[in-house]
Amino acid sequence: MGADLDNTTVEKAYARWAPVYDLVFDKVMAAGRRAAVEAAMRAGRRVLDVGVGTGLELRYFHDSAEVVGVDLSEPMLRKAQERIRAGGMRHIAGLCVMDAARLAFPDETFDAVIAPYVITVVPHPEASLDELIRVVRRGGDVVLVNHIGADRGPRAVLERWLARQTRHIGWRPEFPWSRIEAWCASRPHVELAERRAVPPFGLFTLVRLRKRRADMAPVPQAA
Amino acid sequence: MTTSERPSGSVDPKLLEILVCPLTKAPLEYDAERQELISRAAKLAYPIRDGIPIMLPEEARPLE
Repeated sequence: MGADLDNTTVEKAYARWAPVYDLVFDKVMAAGRRAAVEAAMRAGRRVLDVGVGTGLELRYFHDSAEVVGVDLSEPMLRKAQERIRAGGMRHIAGLCVMDAARLAFPDETFDAVIAPYVITVVPHPEASLDELIRVVRRGGDVVLVNHIGADRGPRAVLERWLARQTRHIGWRPEFPWSRIEAWCASRPHVELAERRAVPPFGLFTLVRLRKRRADMAPVPQAA
Repeated sequence: MTTSERPSGSVDPKLLEILVCPLTKAPLEYDAERQELISRAAKLAYPIRDGIPIMLPEEARPLE
């Protein structure tokens, strides 16, 4: 996996990014955020936003939604808190500092979970995916939006080089699709419901994972 | 669940109701005075800072 990440590195990187994050990232990532919110709202009103950051996608939720936002970075959440207060957003039920790999919610709490631009930056992607699926109801959806790396070709080479620079910027550009595919294949209670490119230039991919209904596959008990 | 009817810095009671310990997934007790969420099972008190529960074991106060 090349240079990997730990929570301290990620927290420090995002503490540095917090003041300028929106300026740098808002435009290029906006379409993916909106697509993730729209996909989640089709599953229901109760939505968990993992890696909510400064709250850039909160404006896309309907007023009828009940959204809880979590992020590992407290400075990023303080920005989201300002945004919620300034916008008078009544559909945001609350914000919490949390680790995506250790969520503080009971099983099957939400209709949908969105994680835009998250799974490639967390230190433990598979453990985090397990947690995202755990807290969604059966028949509910986990929606990911990510730059998912090429498995081969010139882009793969570039991405591997970028991966070595990972620690400086706090994310991991190299994240092969095969890793999500392998995770999904070994989880009988999860099915791949959708995978499509989102603008700009198909740079980002939306992946929708559905937690199967009880009669289709039993959900394994956590250890 | 709404945010606008509460004083700033407080947490939505419905959010407090659904939170569990991130380690044990067991229910939490809310200490309003100390602004902490207590996990008896993990022997940890998770702080609430200016309306945001900090649900990280490494930031929690160990209980006797």
